[in-house]
Amino acid sequence: MSAAPHLESPVAAAAPALAGRRAPRLFRIGPGIALPVHPRALIWSGIVLVGLIVAAVLTLSMGKLGIAPQSLPAALFDPPRGAAGFTLTTLRGPRLLVAIGVGAALGISGALFQIVTRNPLGSPDVIGLGAGAGAGVAICGLLWPGVLPTPAGALLGAMLAITIVYLSTGRGFAAPARIIIAGIGVSAMAHAVTQYVVSVKLRDEASQLAGYLAGSINSVGWGAVGIIAITLALCLPAAWALSPSLNQIALGDSLAHSLGIRVTATRTAAIIVAVVAAAGAVTVAGPISFVALTAPQIAQRLTRSPALSLGLSALLGALILVVADLLAQQAPWARGLPVGILTAGVGGIYLGALLIREWRKGRL
Amino acid sequence: MTQLSPTHAAARVSRSGRARVRTLGSRTLILIALLLLLLVLSALSLVAGSRVTSVSEVWQALSGTGNPHLQLVVTERIPRTIIGAVVGASLAVAGVIVQGITRNPLGDPGLLGVSVGASAAVVTATAITGTAIGAGTVWVALAGALATVVLVVLVAGRPTAGGIVPLLLAGAVVSAVLGTYIQAMILTRPAVFDSFRFWVIGSLSGRRLETLAEVAPALILGLVLALILASGLNALALGDDMAHSLGVSVPRVRAGGLLAAALLCAGATALVGPIAFIGLAVPHIVRALVGTDHRWQIPAAILLGASVLIAADIVGRIIARPGELMVGVVTAFVGAPFLLIAVRAGRAVRG
Repeated sequence: MSAAPHLESPVAAAAPALAGRRAPRLFRIGPGIALPVHPRALIWSGIVLVGLIVAAVLTLSMGKLGIAPQSLPAALFDPPRGAAGFTLTTLRGPRLLVAIGVGAALGISGALFQIVTRNPLGSPDVIGLGAGAGAGVAICGLLWPGVLPTPAGALLGAMLAITIVYLSTGRGFAAPARIIIAGIGVSAMAHAVTQYVVSVKLRDEASQLAGYLAGSINSVGWGAVGIIAITLALCLPAAWALSPSLNQIALGDSLAHSLGIRVTATRTAAIIVAVVAAAGAVTVAGPISFVALTAPQIAQRLTRSPALSLGLSALLGALILVVADLLAQQAPWARGLPVGILTAGVGGIYLGALLIREWRKGRL
Repeated sequence: MTQLSPTHAAARVSRSGRARVRTLGSRTLILIALLLLLLVLSALSLVAGSRVTSVSEVWQALSGTGNPHLQLVVTERIPRTIIGAVVGASLAVAGVIVQGITRNPLGDPGLLGVSVGASAAVVTATAITGTAIGAGTVWVALAGALATVVLVVLVAGRPTAGGIVPLLLAGAVVSAVLGTYIQAMILTRPAVFDSFRFWVIGSLSGRRLETLAEVAPALILGLVLALILASGLNALALGDDMAHSLGVSVPRVRAGGLLAAALLCAGATALVGPIAFIGLAVPHIVRALVGTDHRWQIPAAILLGASVLIAADIVGRIIARPGELMVGVVTAFVGAPFLLIAVRAGRAVRG
């Protein structure tokens, strides 16, 4: 009596998840290689990609200094001279690339965290990771410049934040409600550190200040593009390599274990990749909130699959940030606002709805 | 008899069963010690700052002799010390009440979004009228605070079902959204809000005693209500059913407590802007000092809350010289660990 349910429980728990999940079709290359393809995820990725391209073209072509869409392809290879060319190559071009890169990095980071904590709320901005990385950036960039490069500071801050959250819950990542409340506390402390640094060093520079506090890509250059490109070059392949094992873990630890997955090692590796991705994004753009929370959620809803859709999540993150930045550049009511304020407003409302739903289902 | 028994029972069930009944004498001693602490910190607050003045210089300035420039500095520090004490006391009492009515050590009106709600209302009113709204500020803040309480309760759903966690989560979300709104308003209308940065994070700098006089009615009303409710809160600590059988109207105590907390919190926010974590941290310390009887907790919270806020303000003035750090930042850094401790200690959060 006591042994039988114990053996059956992981399979029983996994059954509904398996039933709700469409089996991937296999795409065969020659006799030896077969890649799993989820048709739904692929179709949605295509749609989001088209949306991303449209938003990117709009970003480059709207306004007085934009370049008309029909002449854009030529202008990309041979930038025109004068104000329009300057706008393309030094203002809007890098800004657009940073928006895409940061959005993608946040999307990946959020997806990995949510799969590891098995909870839609276990996202880097909810658990204080973004705020911690922001404090690290503020300390390394402003308080003691030159001691450590800012990306290292972001990484250290993020790791410190997640360690404090992990220790404060008393049960690791197994208690979502505690993670979130501990995250509120850690975020508050990290924000206080950032505020301190900013008020000591940047008393009168309001726009730069907003970048450190809310996240902004208003004045990024090609250096920022380089940092986020390196981050993605590290994190995308790593996340892709981890995703099959993570999808097994999503079905339950014991089932994954019996399928030969090294659960703890995979989970630790996923957290490291997620922390690096989030830290890279924060280094470049500051603590932009709620993109990492919403992108994987929307991806999961679109594919109707409990499995991780990393690619779609990254694309959605990029789309959200590019659209938010387009609003910050062109919408009259939002002009000049740091993009982090827009994402925080919209994402905060989404988080509210999500919290209520999760709580009522008793999953917190 | 009905007045006494809940107190003793509450004292007995405190702290994981360790019996801890405080005697009258030891509690009085603790209150006297807290009063001394407050006096020492208030004196320090006149001395410390970006320019440290010696005690004799302060004394000269207060008695009207000595360097006129110094006199200005010291007279500038008097109102901020008084206002700091009033705000700290109000927030701490509000915290004691909210933790009492929710029976949860995580209850803090600041964490529930009340302060940010009050701040958002004031910012909206200021943006509409285009100028500072003066004497009406506190009532606008109060309306905002109450509206936020209603909103948070609505977002959280039935509060009885899940204890305080849904309220806390809803409060965090509402604070995040309203905080964003405040920042966006201030950033897009720099002309209107140039001198109103403290609506984002509370600060004691540049606040005047006239504002305190405008806010005083709300604060006094809230404090009186809190003192009236103290014994009701003691009964509530034993559980709704027990409180009901002791003749306490549970809904009335809850509603009255919420109103008192909103009044205190709105008044404090109208004075200095939103400050979180005082209402969380101070009641924790107070419980450890004087036990669970709310009739002792409230006076202790008044003294300790005032001391903590003045201390935080002194720290903020010293560590960010020649500028100063907003007091809300210091209290967040000092107070947030209490949130982590409460989470780790367990009982407050299920799951």
